[in-house]
Amino acid sequence: MLVSDVMTRKVVAIGPDTPIRDVQALMEQRNVRHFPILEGRAEPDKPDALVGIVSDRDVRLVGADHPKAPPGVRAGDPVSSLMVRDVLTAHPGDPIEETAKTMRMRKIGAMPVMEDGRLVGIVTATDLLDALVTMSGVHQAASRIEVEVANRPGALAELLGLIADRRVNVVSVMTTRGDDETISFVLRVATADARGLARHLKGAGVNVTWPPDKRTEP
Amino acid sequence: MSGGPYRFVFDPELAAFQLAPDHPFKPVRYELARTLLLAAGALEPAEVVPPRPVTDEDLLTVHDERYVAVVKAASSPSRPADAQLQRHGLATADNPAFPRMHELVRGVVAATVTAVELVASGEALRAASLAGGLHHALRDRASGFCVYNDLAVAIRRAVDRHGLRVAYVDVDAHHGDGVQWLFYDEPRVLTVSVHESGRYLFPGTGFTYETGNGDGRGSAVNVPLEPFTDDDSFLECFDAVVPRALRRFAPDLIVVQAGADMHHRDPLADLALTLHGMRGAYERLVSLAEELTGGRMVLTGGGGYDAYRTVPRAWALAWAALAGRALPHEVPAAWRAEWGERLGVALPETFADDPPEPSPRAAAIASRNRSVADRLMKQLEEIWDEAPAA
Repeated sequence: MLVSDVMTRKVVAIGPDTPIRDVQALMEQRNVRHFPILEGRAEPDKPDALVGIVSDRDVRLVGADHPKAPPGVRAGDPVSSLMVRDVLTAHPGDPIEETAKTMRMRKIGAMPVMEDGRLVGIVTATDLLDALVTMSGVHQAASRIEVEVANRPGALAELLGLIADRRVNVVSVMTTRGDDETISFVLRVATADARGLARHLKGAGVNVTWPPDKRTEP
Repeated sequence: MSGGPYRFVFDPELAAFQLAPDHPFKPVRYELARTLLLAAGALEPAEVVPPRPVTDEDLLTVHDERYVAVVKAASSPSRPADAQLQRHGLATADNPAFPRMHELVRGVVAATVTAVELVASGEALRAASLAGGLHHALRDRASGFCVYNDLAVAIRRAVDRHGLRVAYVDVDAHHGDGVQWLFYDEPRVLTVSVHESGRYLFPGTGFTYETGNGDGRGSAVNVPLEPFTDDDSFLECFDAVVPRALRRFAPDLIVVQAGADMHHRDPLADLALTLHGMRGAYERLVSLAEELTGGRMVLTGGGGYDAYRTVPRAWALAWAALAGRALPHEVPAAWRAEWGERLGVALPETFADDPPEPSPRAAAIASRNRSVADRLMKQLEEIWDEAPAA
């Protein structure tokens, strides 16, 4: 999945001269927590330049009695006195796991998305959570099964083959953990009889960790 | 109301088909329940009525036209390629295509529509359609053993033709997703589903945050329960949510999907109820109908995969609650002997059953369920306060 699949395209940007108190009002009005800051260039046919980004946290700290409050900045000052100038940006073609890693390492909640020098969107931690939900396949009626297979070429293919033999569609596959010996997968499978499928897999030697056996099975 | 106020909609053909050999969904359950009730003296032959046919047009009130065409094609000898059917959930382990599928499942729809028509028209006070309850079927897709959504077709008709407000209560172990999604924007239909959490069980939905959309906001209610939930915790959560939701909605008709798979012996689900707790739910629903709808209620079946030992007794208890009849303590010996031989299983001797071994985690399970129900009600009260009942 790429940033272009999950980003918000209708991004609201503001100018560097916007007073900080207006920024706060705009955030509440638009229900967003980050504004990219754009500035026009001398060349009229060139896109506006990304000169900074400001978050709701930056704005809230203005004038607060807090060690991280920006010294000497007041609510009437332009946002340029507060904004982060060294902006980390994403590209629409970036894989989202890379974006997620960057956001975690740099402890930021959003990245403007730039393409050919133009702001084309913004990707936030919420967008990445939505992507996780989509990837887990929870939008489609399915059962969840958990399996552990050998960490070797073909092991997953064999598992999926066993599921296909039962004429059950696989809605999503996620890896939960692995080591040198084994890998665990959570699969969402379009069957109401997950226990029947689990019996079939166990019969073929697969280690199924959910659903558990039932003592009252016929 | 000649023949009394209660009707049991049944046709032998409803019980005679099989989705596939060894398929967990067993239509013979309806015949087992009917014969058990007759043997126990809790059902009068005059109360058993055949379904009135419905047309393909009726199916189109909730289903996509192309989907119905695909189901019809899949039921014929010249059925389309599997790949085409599988786009609609057919030709799969859960929903194999079989000869006459369209006609037979349309017959299930007819049975539930008949039950709703009998009650809506005043011909009966309460009616049962145990073959009905195919709550997973979607607008254009078969899912979880369900091809057409009989409940949704019948509810749609009660709303559109009879102008009724319908409260749908689903106590199947699985979330009633198909019915919920088909009425998710509809303010005249309340859907309430009490089920094992989608974190563990098919179809993986039915979380508390699913509360309806648009005009239907606040008219979907979901109570997801922990695996191994027992009678006491189930009824505690039922009592915390269902009466309040129904009273606030003020229905004209209650439609109950009484899937019998919350029982501890069910091989597909993981709840741990006994017939005692299930009977408690049925009796509460009849009381709510008496209180809110002048008694009007329609009962359907649904899931239930301990098909021979548990389901017939559960549905006998549901009908007994519906019709205010007492069942004997013992399962009639003649019924046990006949069906025990035909099915090759030892059938239980009484209508009560042994509780499962108590889970060492029972207190923790009850505590978590209680917390889910509490938070659900807080969330719903907030939504309901924003938009007062119509």
